[in-house]
Formats: sequence, structure tokens, C-alpha cells
Amino acid sequence: MVEVGDRLLGYATDPNVRSKGASGGLVTAVLAAALEKGLVEGVVILKRIDEYEAVPVITDDVQEVLSSGGSMHAVPVNLAKYVVGKKVAMPGKPCDVRGVIEQAKRNSVDLSNTYIVGLNCGGSMHPVLTKEMLIKMYEIDPEDVVGEEIEKGKLIFKTKSGEEKSISIDKLEEEGYGRRESCRYCDVKIPVSADLACGNWGVIGELAGNATFCEVMNEKGKLLLDTAIEAGYVEVRPADEKSISIREKVNSAMLKLGDEWKEKVFDEIPDKDRLKYYIDQFADCIDCGACKEVCPVCSCGPDSKCTMFHSLADNYKMSMYHMVRLLHLSDSCIGCGQCADVCPVDIPVTTIFRRFANPAQKNRNYMPGMDLKRPPFLEVMLK
Amino acid sequence: MKESIYQTVCPGCGIGCGLYIREDNQGAVSIDFFKSNPVNLGKLCRFGMKLPHYFSSGAFCKADEPSSMEGAIRDAAARLKGAEKVAMLSVGNTTCEEHMAFERIAKTLGSAVHTGIQAYSKLPPECHSYLEGMPFQDIEKANKIVLFIDPYVQYPLLVRRLLAAKRNNSHIISVGTKELHLADENLSITPNEYSQLGLDSNSVIITDLHPHTDANDIIQLLNLSLETGAKILTMKPFVSSEGVNRISKVKTTSKGLSQMMDEVKKGNIRTLVLLDSDPIELMPDTDETVKSLKKLDNLIVISSRKSPVNEIADVVISTEPLYRKAGTFMNTEGRIQENSGTGVTGINAMSSLNKELGSEEFEYGQLHEQVMAALTNEGQKSGYSKIKNLATAKQCTGGYVLKYLYNPFMWFNQLDDNDFVLINLNMVRSLKLKKGGQISLTSENGNIKMRYRVEGMPDGLILTARKLPIAIAGTTSVKVEGC
Ligand SMILES: Cc1cc2nc3c(=O)[nH]c(=O)nc-3n(C[C@H](O)[C@H](O)[C@H](O)COP(=O)(O)OP(=O)(O)OC[C@H]3O[C@@H](n4cnc5c(N)ncnc54)[C@H](O)[C@@H]3O)c2cc1C
Ligand code: SF4
Ligand code: SF4
Ligand code: SF4
Ligand code: SF4
Repeated sequence: MVEVGDRLLGYATDPNVRSKGASGGLVTAVLAAALEKGLVEGVVILKRIDEYEAVPVITDDVQEVLSSGGSMHAVPVNLAKYVVGKKVAMPGKPCDVRGVIEQAKRNSVDLSNTYIVGLNCGGSMHPVLTKEMLIKMYEIDPEDVVGEEIEKGKLIFKTKSGEEKSISIDKLEEEGYGRRESCRYCDVKIPVSADLACGNWGVIGELAGNATFCEVMNEKGKLLLDTAIEAGYVEVRPADEKSISIREKVNSAMLKLGDEWKEKVFDEIPDKDRLKYYIDQFADCIDCGACKEVCPVCSCGPDSKCTMFHSLADNYKMSMYHMVRLLHLSDSCIGCGQCADVCPVDIPVTTIFRRFANPAQKNRNYMPGMDLKRPPFLEVMLK
Repeated sequence: MKESIYQTVCPGCGIGCGLYIREDNQGAVSIDFFKSNPVNLGKLCRFGMKLPHYFSSGAFCKADEPSSMEGAIRDAAARLKGAEKVAMLSVGNTTCEEHMAFERIAKTLGSAVHTGIQAYSKLPPECHSYLEGMPFQDIEKANKIVLFIDPYVQYPLLVRRLLAAKRNNSHIISVGTKELHLADENLSITPNEYSQLGLDSNSVIITDLHPHTDANDIIQLLNLSLETGAKILTMKPFVSSEGVNRISKVKTTSKGLSQMMDEVKKGNIRTLVLLDSDPIELMPDTDETVKSLKKLDNLIVISSRKSPVNEIADVVISTEPLYRKAGTFMNTEGRIQENSGTGVTGINAMSSLNKELGSEEFEYGQLHEQVMAALTNEGQKSGYSKIKNLATAKQCTGGYVLKYLYNPFMWFNQLDDNDFVLINLNMVRSLKLKKGGQISLTSENGNIKMRYRVEGMPDGLILTARKLPIAIAGTTSVKVEGC
């Protein structure tokens, strides 16, 4: 039996799951056990199409869950919206988890039915840019890649011939590659609002690469892990002080790096230029609505404030859609980057939204998606 | 909880954006983003985002009736045997393999498949290959780009390529109908003044070729390209426009959609067979087109979606939705993309029809091989010489002109937030139009009151992104009043 607050090192007992897993397959095994033992009706997994593409699906097939291990850094999806209205377990990066929490504040997700196995996250990358980076920077044919890993600030690719090539993430980002912009300044790296927080930071020695550091965040996390242990799907042991302190250290270093990026990206715009900035940024918008569709914290549905006050016949220099959204999301935007990813005219939507939301959230010392204790500052919490 | 996920291509225009269609076990459809697709990085425009509506909406379809597919095929065959004055149309709104199957039926009938673009037959054949598309990435490298289209409305996923070109210091000039935010210059010039554009071999001219394109416009641009060395990118409106026009063997005699409808009206076409091509949606004047089609002896429709022509057809052979089909598309840049779907209902139906007509059956695999051979056959481009202008039909000049801004919603008769017209500020001021007010437009087809939006446009021009009942053609003379 594990306890809330435990920090453990663990892995899947099935050698296939363990070797296929990103760092020991614990996450896969926990999700599979939750399904097998009836804690949930389905599990959200990423169905792999190739190294750079996967689609989120909900499955009730334990075997499908067991074969879904591995982290896909070049698949920048957010999983929050896939769980709305369902009794499921899901893996989740901090932004996935924060999206679910924001949905729960609005009663669109029932957290007592949703089990979240959080994954630490240093960032994700865009698949097409990643392929371009492989050709230009790594001189590797993207088709030859069989695996990738982030270790000690380096992005490592493994090829079919067994070759490994690594380049520092700093260098890649200098050249415009590497993590998406939102990931560089993302301010949660360990998903403390999930039920379990898992990752490879702090896994050292002989276990490096084949075990997962797992922190039990709450009672649901305890239930998840106990279920997996009882089912014989995982084995765990307490993490030692060294592991714990390495994990803390790397996390602090990553957050510091994120702050530096924030300084760079969010340079001060003088008051007199601010309106012009927002108008100019959205000037090429083609009103596709994709930025709303993907937003993991938006729970308005099709009849929403931003769309109902907006008409293409309007002559506003910045659409009502964007004006309403900037304001409406200022208390819930988690900076997940999905809106910028899907914008068909490459507007840096996330950066614009974060620029608007940053001071509002900072002044109130409020971080959306962290817990259900504080209500959003612009809304009544329904939960 | 089981869902089916299809990797497919958006049917909205010839850009060919990749996407996923999810279908749940109740048949509800939603879209998802195919982020590793090199054409669009998973990004979609307004039309792409509304595809669930496109796939689920529409008029009553005869194939919804319990009557069997075999019955429809037998009925179609009976009508086609011995039919005279047969014409066949496939604009490229389905897979290249289905188009190829349709070509097989045409051969059996001793007929030909037209793609509805008349401009081809008006141009010297050696020019045709110059109207094939080019890689979108080449746009990003051009030092000068001249736009004869409105990318924001007509081909939205081109905008990001143009913005990328701009970041690479390309100079963008719009010679279209309205001012474009991304253009460095917005010019309102006539072909005689094109030398002002200062183009050279590092320039790209972007125009489009669709069923209502005036061949003269294309001739001017081919001549401009010849004189300056600038490349031409010819955008196309349908998912397989590029593919079917490369496959088509009858380009020199190809009939335009308007010409076909004229022949239907005059009785020179008595049997019309349509493959995912609905003239009621594609022609500017809906009522006139319905009237003409009703004169046919036989109207046979092979279609994967519910569209208005299904309602008045004699036979509808209903096939699976586009995303479920096995098949190949070629986008405007000449890129071949394949559906993950495996549906062959359409192919099998056409194979059975061909058999009923006394010819051989065929299978998807054979058609696919044929398609790939045709699409990957890089023909040699032979040069062309300066082309003479054609005699022009009467143009609407003077007064006010209502013009269609063809776009995916218009081609497919899809609802959108576009019940307004675009006019310039001079018109607003001279008619003293109020904010939120309406403008009254009158043509020989009647009167309509419309909301308006202000755009930078030449005086006297009124643009609409949706079909209007008062329009008689792509451009219509109108009277305007404030109201
Ligand atoms: C984009 C990304 C970045 C990460 N960065 C770090 C880091 O910097 N430091 C760190 O300690 N750990 C990081 N992790 C977590 C780490 O890679 C392992 O996932 C974690 O250690 C669990 O290992 P495992 O073997 O138990 O997981 P597995 O058993 O391999 O299970 C992994 C689970 O993650 C899901 N998954 C895969 N890719 C994604 C994705 N893109 N988005 C959402 N879910 C996904 C899979 O469907 C599967 O359920 C990252 C994970 C991802 C996805
Ligand atoms: S936004 Fe944050 S949590 Fe989400 S993928 Fe990027 S770094 Fe990870
Ligand atoms: S506004 Fe954009 S960055 Fe913010 S939560 Fe929504 S999708 Fe994510
Ligand atoms: S995704 Fe981009 S183009 Fe689409 S509505 Fe949002 S900002 Fe506009
Ligand atoms: S640009 Fe064309 S192909 Fe792409 S989503 Fe829009 S309509 Fe579809």
C-alpha cells in the first residue's frame, strides 16, 4: 500500500511494457490496471501513426493500452477535451492536467470519475519543424528515426542503424527549432495537480532509462497505484534523497529557464502602442475559429460569448471574437500553445493571450488549472 | 466508446489540407488536426473547421430511400443504353480513382468526361502544362508576388505561405478586387499596365482557374509570364482539380460548365451524368440552372454527399463520404496524398454500371495504378508563343457591378456567416448608409436588401461571398440604394 505524498521509483513488471515505455512503462501499466480492474470505463491513449504523429483515442481494450507506451515529444496535442463527460483514466502533461482542472471548475469534467497520471514535461515540438530540424541540424533522414529522448538538456535521436545523435536544446532553439515557444516559457513542469506525477527526473544509476519517478499526489493517485501494484502490473520502491533532490533541482532549473524565456518573449510594450499591438497581431486572422475549438480551458460550447457577439459583417479593427476571448480567458489561459499550433495564418495566438493574461493572473497570484480551491477570478466556480 | 479515425484531405479547395475525421459509433463526425501533414501542418481554414457540417448536411438524397444500389445501377444503365446526346461532368470533387472509373464508363458510352473548365479549350495546348501548380514552398522564396486572387477568402491556407514570403522580404502586390492586408501594394490596373509590376524570373503570379474563369484573364497572365519570366501558380477550387485536369485527355475539346448548361438548355445535351459535381451549386444562378436541368431526358448522379441536384435527379447512385473512400488526390502544388479509408462503394458501383453497359468490370487496384501512372508522368513542357486575346463577351461596365467572390462555401452551397456584401467607403458615404444598416440591390432578377461590410475596393464594385438570387452571372449589373 502506498501513501499520499510518497515519492517512489517504479516500473512495469511486464518486460515488454517496461522496455517500450519512455522510462520503465509505469504509466502505461497503471493506466492498463485501472481499466482492467474497472476503476474506469476507458483510457485515453495516443495511437501512434509514426514517430511524429499520433491521434488521441479512448479505448476500453487493455491490450491496446499496454501497447501504447512511450513519450512522443513531437506530438503536441492537448488531451483535456477528450475526457469531457467520460469516466476515464488519462496520461497528461502539465498543460493537459491543467486543462482538465479548468474544465472541472466549470463542471464539464467530473474529477471523481477522471484519473490523471501526470507526466513531467520539459516541452513538446512541432512535427513538421522537427523533421526539418532532423535534416538540417542532425543530418538524419526523419524516416530513419526509431526513438527520441531528452536528457541533460540535450535532444537525442536514435536511428534504425543504432546510431545516436544529440544536440543541446539551447542550440536548437537558437536556430528556431526545438520546443514550441509556449513550452519554453511554460511555468509548470511537474504536474502536481494530477493524481500521480511521473517522470524520469531523479531516476539515476542502474534504473536510469527504465524506471519512473512517481509522486502520489492525492487519494485517487493512491488508489491508482495500489490497484496497479495489487494487479501485479507494477513494482515500486521508495526514492532515495538523492533522487528526490535531483528531481527538485532539475525542476527549479527548468522553471528558471522558463522565466528567462518569459523576459525575452514578453518584452515591455509602451502603453500608447498596446492597442496597436493587439490590432496588428490579429490583422490577418481569417476567422476560422480553430483557436477556440482547441482551447482546453474553454467550455462554452458552440453558443459562446466570443462567437455570439461577433459577425463577419462587422467593421471593427479587431474582431469582437478576439476582444471577448482576450478578456474571457485572462483568468483561465494556461499557455498550452494549442491555439498557436492550429492557427492557419501562423498568428502567435498563445503569446498574445499570455501577454494579456500574465499581468492579470500575476497580480492576483492566481495560476489556473492547479486545484479546485480558488475560483476563477472572473467567474463563479460551479464545482 | 469506439471511434473510427480517417486520415483524409479537406474537399474545400485545391490546397488539399490534411486532417483527421473522427466518426463515433452513432455516426457523428468531428475533425481533428493532422499536424505532421506538410501541406498545412494540421491547420484548417473556416471551411475545414466546418467540415462536420459539410459531411452531414444537405438536401434529401434519393439514395436514402430503401431502393437498393443494384436497383439504381440497373436504372442508370437502362437510361444510358441507347441514350443520345450524353454528356459527363466530373469537376474533381472526389478521388482520382473514381474520376478514372468515370472515364471508363465514358469510354464505354463513346462519350468524354468534362472537367467543366472551358479555358483549357480556348488556349493553345502547349500552354496547358503551364497551368499546372507548383510547390507552395516556392512562393515563400519569390522576391515578388502578384496576387490576382483574394487568398483570405478563396484559398485561405495560402495566406501563411504569403506571410512567410513577406518575412523573407518578398514584395507582395495585389491586383485583385479588394485591398489585402498582407499586400505591400494594392493596385487597380488593367492588363495594358501590367508592365508597371516590374516582374522577373524570381517573381510569382498567383491566379486561379475554375469553371467560370475567363480565358482572356489567363491569356493575359500567360503572356505576362512569357515576357517577364515570372512563374504562374494557378490555384484550383476542388480537391482533385489538379489531378483530374492532368488525367483528362480531352482538354483541347473540354466543355466549360456554363457551355454545358447552355447546351442542356438548348436541348443539345439530353442525358447528363454527374460525378460529385452539382451544377445547381456550381452555377451562379440557382433557379435558372434548376430550370435547365429539368429539361433533360436523363439526369444521373453519382454522389458521395447530399447536394441539391440529388433532389431532381432521375437516378442517384449514392457512395460513401469522401473521407471513407480509398483513393488519391493531387493538390495544386502537384502533391499526391492518399486517404486512409478503404471504401470502394463508388468504384464498385461504377464497375457494375460499366458491366451493365456491356463492358468490362474493374477494381480499385487497377484504377489506382492507372492514376499513379498518369499523375507521376512528368511531361516535357514545350514553350509557347504570345497568345492572342479572344473576342470578349459583353462585360458589365459603368454603374454598379455585383461580383461573386468564389470561395469554398460558395462552391458547395454551405451556410456561413456571409449574408452581407462588401462595398467601399465612398459607396457607404454617398448612400448615407448607417452602421448596421442595409443596402438595397436590384437587378433584372429582382431586389434584395443586404447588410454590408466596408473594404478597400474600386468604386462601383460590390462583392459577395455567397450566391445571391438577384445574380444572373459571376458579375451582374445592379442598381443600389440606401435603406
Ligand atoms: C512531451 C513530453 C515531454 C516530457 N518531458 C519530460 C521531462 O522533461 N522530464 C521528465 O522527467 N519527464 C518528461 N516526460 C515524461 C517521460 O517522458 C515519461 O513519460 C515518464 O517518465 C513516464 O514514463 P513511463 O515509461 O512510465 O511512461 P510510458 O509507460 O511510456 O507511458 C507514456 C504515456 O504518455 C502518453 N504520451 C506519449 N506522448 C504524449 C504526449 N505528447 N502528450 C501526452 N501524452 C503522451 C502515452 O500515451 C502513454 O500513455 C515527458 C513526456 C512527454 C510526453
Ligand atoms: S505547454 Fe508546458 S506542459 Fe504543455 S507541452 Fe509545453 S511544456 Fe509541456
Ligand atoms: S488561449 Fe491558447 S494557450 Fe491559452 S489555454 Fe487556450 S489554447 Fe491554450
Ligand atoms: S486560429 Fe488564427 S485565424 Fe483562426 S480565428 Fe484564431 S487567430 Fe484567427
Ligand atoms: S484552405 Fe482549402 S483545403 Fe485547406 S481547409 Fe480551407 S478549404 Fe480546406
